[in-house]
Amino acid sequence: MVPHGDLSVLDPIWTTQNMAAYHGAMMYDTLFGIDADFKPQPQMVGKTDISADRKTYTFELRPGLKWHDGTAVTARDCVASVRRWQAKDGAGQHLFERVADTPVVDEKTFRIVLKEPYGLLLDALAKTSTPLCVMMKAEIAATDPNTQITKHIGSGPFKFIEAEYRPGSRVVYERNPDYVPRSEPASGIAGGKRVLLDRVIWDIMPDAQTAASALMAGEVDYFEVPPIDILPTLSAAPGVKIEVFNKLGNIGQVRLNHLHPPFNNLAARKAAQLAINQEDIQRAAVGDPKYYQICGSNFTCGSAMGVEDGSEVLMLKAPMAERQAKARELLKQSGYDGKPIVLLHATNIHVMNQTMLVVAQNLRQVGFNVQLASSDWAGVVTRRANQNPPDQGGWNVFYTWSGGNAASSPISLFAHAAIGKKAWFGWPENPEIEKMRTEWAYASDAEARRSVARRINKTMMDYVHDVKTGQWVSPVAYRGDRLRGLLAVPEVVPWWNVERYA
Amino acid sequence: MLAYIFRRLLGVIPVMLIVGIFVFSLLHLAPGDPAAIIAGDNATEANVARIRTSLGLDRPLLEQFASWGWSTLQGDLGISMYSMTPVTTMVQQRMGATFSLAVTTMLVAVTIAITLGVLAAWKAGSLLDRAVMGLSVASFSVPVFVVGYIMVYFVALQWRWLPVQGYMPLSEGFWNWLRHLILPSFALGLAYVALIARITRASMLDVLAEDYIRTASAKGVATVPMLLRHALKNAAVPIITVVGIGVALLISGVVITESVFNVPGVGRLVVDAISRRDYPVIQGVMIIFAGIYVLINLMIDISYCFLDPRIRYS
Repeated sequence: MVPHGDLSVLDPIWTTQNMAAYHGAMMYDTLFGIDADFKPQPQMVGKTDISADRKTYTFELRPGLKWHDGTAVTARDCVASVRRWQAKDGAGQHLFERVADTPVVDEKTFRIVLKEPYGLLLDALAKTSTPLCVMMKAEIAATDPNTQITKHIGSGPFKFIEAEYRPGSRVVYERNPDYVPRSEPASGIAGGKRVLLDRVIWDIMPDAQTAASALMAGEVDYFEVPPIDILPTLSAAPGVKIEVFNKLGNIGQVRLNHLHPPFNNLAARKAAQLAINQEDIQRAAVGDPKYYQICGSNFTCGSAMGVEDGSEVLMLKAPMAERQAKARELLKQSGYDGKPIVLLHATNIHVMNQTMLVVAQNLRQVGFNVQLASSDWAGVVTRRANQNPPDQGGWNVFYTWSGGNAASSPISLFAHAAIGKKAWFGWPENPEIEKMRTEWAYASDAEARRSVARRINKTMMDYVHDVKTGQWVSPVAYRGDRLRGLLAVPEVVPWWNVERYA
Repeated sequence: MLAYIFRRLLGVIPVMLIVGIFVFSLLHLAPGDPAAIIAGDNATEANVARIRTSLGLDRPLLEQFASWGWSTLQGDLGISMYSMTPVTTMVQQRMGATFSLAVTTMLVAVTIAITLGVLAAWKAGSLLDRAVMGLSVASFSVPVFVVGYIMVYFVALQWRWLPVQGYMPLSEGFWNWLRHLILPSFALGLAYVALIARITRASMLDVLAEDYIRTASAKGVATVPMLLRHALKNAAVPIITVVGIGVALLISGVVITESVFNVPGVGRLVVDAISRRDYPVIQGVMIIFAGIYVLINLMIDISYCFLDPRIRYS
């Protein structure tokens, strides 16, 4: 397999990089897993008991679970792992603000005792977006969450072969012969994880053209993120199949800095919202309309929470000229003085480079004086944390994207928060949004949650929390003449259930 | 001579020190925060700050430099901030691939270039000469990645003679090792063929105009011994100088070739490290590269004495 990036960090809790989550799903197991319908299903847990007041969850591990060193998985290991995970995860932190205790009952049983009922407990433990709630041995999970673990012992379907690990080049896994899969069929990251491959090798290739050639020549079986412009060549190659496994894809977002002029003013933010054209951006960044869509939801179009209330402005309902005229008017109202606005422009990542060039032009067209601060992504991630005014090292606009699955939850994705200087970069502040996010977490069922999501979406749009730039999927190219059984899971590439038959 | 070599080796120390100060300052002054990259895109600022502390990046720069400098003097180049692997181990894991690629590239380049350069000089002004010089200009002008992709398309994808990409260590068998290196070596070597062939031709033309060559020819010395034994040996000093510069330039050239042919060498290691600001890896590799540069230059200087006994170092 040629993954989208390098596995440079082996601790899936210490970092929230996607590659670490992939690694986590290979060698570790989870208590619960999201199935193909996005419902949490038991994985390492055999039996779940929920008290009548819905404040105590008792979990009993299923028999036969073993660590890769041969020792048995215990309840103590799981409690330590959950506690380490929650320190790094948005959904975990939200959950643990309501956790009173996590007592170990016996070798195989533990509890999570809540201060008040919380409907998203199982969803949080089962999530596929990074960081996954993976189980580690207690002594390893005792490592400070901000320090990387140095021992790699999991209980998952594959064993990580540390001796063959070459950072930046090669990662090797072998089948875990002691793994006992569940009896249910595999679905999402839930169900029976039956391993049908002896070895899985991740070959890190920095050059997409090389990876495509290797796939066509049969030297690799799976190319995770082929560039869209190479797809016609790949689909014409004998034996190569193109398929979209992560149907929720990614959602782009332009973050406006709410701390400084002009975007500390609602009218200026609305002007930017009107000026930014999703269609222009997607055409430049993705290209093929088969793989992108205009989306007005903060919570991923196509997901259970993919509501678009209040998003008409992003949906190109009005002609662009009309929108631009309105944007100019709003910009005037905002009192914008023509001072240059600084756009952080990452030039070394194709989608980011293209998007920011279009955003800059969109903003220029309505009267913003735009100054692109170009650097590589590493430069952008440093500068975006700077809360100073733009002329003192800060910024006005930057662009990034989130996984569609992660973005579909108003709680899990920290970027949705609106808690001012403690929020994610851009630092939006809106108590109403925060109140509704909590309300969403407490909602009794999916329908009630969707109803709250409608209100949150509308408020986020009215307030211009950020500006969404569209949603796109990344098709996978693989040898259809060799592989079967590939599972569609957002944000993880599972290798169980997969058979290589030629 | 020995005293000279000893003095030159001593000279490596200040060079390394300057490189160390320069690389450390440049890296730490340039924008880019490894803690933010490690934490991931969705991390909170508080998490990034905690990781920064755990990596010691919040300490004063001078303190960080002193700590790194002292460890380096003891032969410890540190560990990667990301994979927690010692830098020396990472370099060892990758040096084999880079060294193999460099050696095969220079073998390809020197063999083809000197042959073509000698032939072009011997037949100066002929169609052969013009063809060789034209080919040199073209080879020098086309970027390595273009040559690489063209070779991959025909040789690996259309004709299926050689693999598209990858590297096999020598321990996996000589042919396995060699067949993975043929395409990258030719792609990378082509520019050096052009450079060395032109210098060889120019240098040979000078020597071929000397009286002793005319004398040798008049005495009936056959063409091949005359070209190789009398002319080429005396034309060797500028050629060796260019080959030496070529070896040094190769270090930057392998970066692209290693990416295009997926060769897991030191070039890719350092590019990956730069893109994520893995300071210990960048600093460690730069120090090693600086040492290699100095040693190559020293070897070239020493080789002059053997090629031209008139040259003496004191």
